[in-house]
Amino acid sequence: MVGSRRTSGTPRLLGTWQLLLLQCAVVAGIFIVWELAVRFGLAKVYVYGQPSGILVRGQALLESGEWWRHTRLTAIEALSGFVIGSVLGSAGGLALWIVPNVARVLRPIIVAINGVPKIALAPLIIVWFGIGIEAKIAIAAILSFIVSLIATYAGTAEVDQDLIRLMRSLGASRLQTWRKVVIPATLPWMVSALRLNVGFSLIGAVVGEYISAKEGLGYLVYYSGVLYDLNSVWVGIFSLMALALLLDLVVSRIERKARWS
Amino acid sequence: MVFNAGQPNAVAAFQDITFSLAPRETLAIIGPSGCGKSTLFNVIAGLLEPTVGEVHVGGQRVSDATGHVGYMLQKDLLLPWRTVLDNVVLGLEIRGAPIAEARETALRLISAYGLEGFERARPGMLSGGMRQRVALMRTLATDPDVILLDEPFSALDFQTRILLQADVKRIIAERGKSAILVTHDIGEALTIADRVLVLSRRPGRVRSVHTIDLDRSDPDPIRFRRDPRFQDYFELLWAELEVRSETR
Repeated sequence: MVGSRRTSGTPRLLGTWQLLLLQCAVVAGIFIVWELAVRFGLAKVYVYGQPSGILVRGQALLESGEWWRHTRLTAIEALSGFVIGSVLGSAGGLALWIVPNVARVLRPIIVAINGVPKIALAPLIIVWFGIGIEAKIAIAAILSFIVSLIATYAGTAEVDQDLIRLMRSLGASRLQTWRKVVIPATLPWMVSALRLNVGFSLIGAVVGEYISAKEGLGYLVYYSGVLYDLNSVWVGIFSLMALALLLDLVVSRIERKARWS
Repeated sequence: MVFNAGQPNAVAAFQDITFSLAPRETLAIIGPSGCGKSTLFNVIAGLLEPTVGEVHVGGQRVSDATGHVGYMLQKDLLLPWRTVLDNVVLGLEIRGAPIAEARETALRLISAYGLEGFERARPGMLSGGMRQRVALMRTLATDPDVILLDEPFSALDFQTRILLQADVKRIIAERGKSAILVTHDIGEALTIADRVLVLSRRPGRVRSVHTIDLDRSDPDPIRFRRDPRFQDYFELLWAELEVRSETR
């Protein structure tokens, strides 16, 4: 036989279009089985919802403008929290490199805060920031802040010590080393924290809305659930997924720009 | 130089090493592994403070990294996010040199030493030999009095290493620099150095110093190595290093 043959150990990978087609098929299959199960009485609609009902409900929410109101609010909360938390967290993590003694003092505190399920802080934040949009932004921001801070600080510790010695031998001040070596070298860590923060900022916003809110996707999901309106719950969940995908897409763009090697 | 001085686990890396380096002279320091070569290197570079003794460059004591000394290590330590040009400029940039002037200097070095056309390339796109060339240019750009070389060729493949050794020798001579090469490679020491200092086992002491008198007018590194005197020096240094075929 001419040409190279695949060894039995390496599976043949699907092409892009084949992959997309199969992914759609899997999703469609789930929806069809689900729909049929409800129609034939194998599953209760108030326990599982129903795809056709979700569509109807989704359309109604869309036409009344309610969907946009909820989605817009949650998006604003998550995005604001994401930006505030990520920026402050990254900046904090980078700053800790300049003052290693401060970092050593704060270390156990940061570890402790990281260990606490941040959701447990939510009631405090509601007390401090009220029940408005500020509280949800604050929760999303705190979650993102911790992740960015820890990832960035860990990144600064990973910078090649020989590079730092080289900078010293060239006569660089600590601040110059920070600007010219530590920050760019830590960039990949900061960006991977952004990836995680997509999820965390949405969690923050939705949890804030669970606790007290009059609108937002978290509110929609929570109160529809209480009322056994499972179709509305699903509309909320799918909208949150879409938001997550959208934010992730933005982060991917940033990631591609930030790659230096 | 003693590590963890005053503590039970103190280790003397080397002792009583005194030598001087003339302007435009290249000195190689060779010795068996673990003789404190790299520690000595770091002391000369001002990266480690010796427990006893001093290093002077041009009559001035090296207490911290002062910029009198430029170095090149086995790792090229190029910043992967910077272009070749920006890597060469780094040292000048740190000193606050006007950026246009710094770039001018860097571009002159780049075109003089065979990397023209790669100014905008990232280090990731270059071969190991090219990367070490860039590292050398970065060192030269700041115009240090002394260039320290710590096994800068050991990560390269054989051909590249031989060619680059000859090139570095020529470049250092052209620029009128003094240099100290730390290595365990006798051939490398003979290719580059005017004088070779042999260290003993730990704690390293000066065992002997040899002035290397070889004709360096021939640019071909292979013909240069065929010189019978090269072979004589090689055998002499080999014997002094007491290389034993130990199995650890």
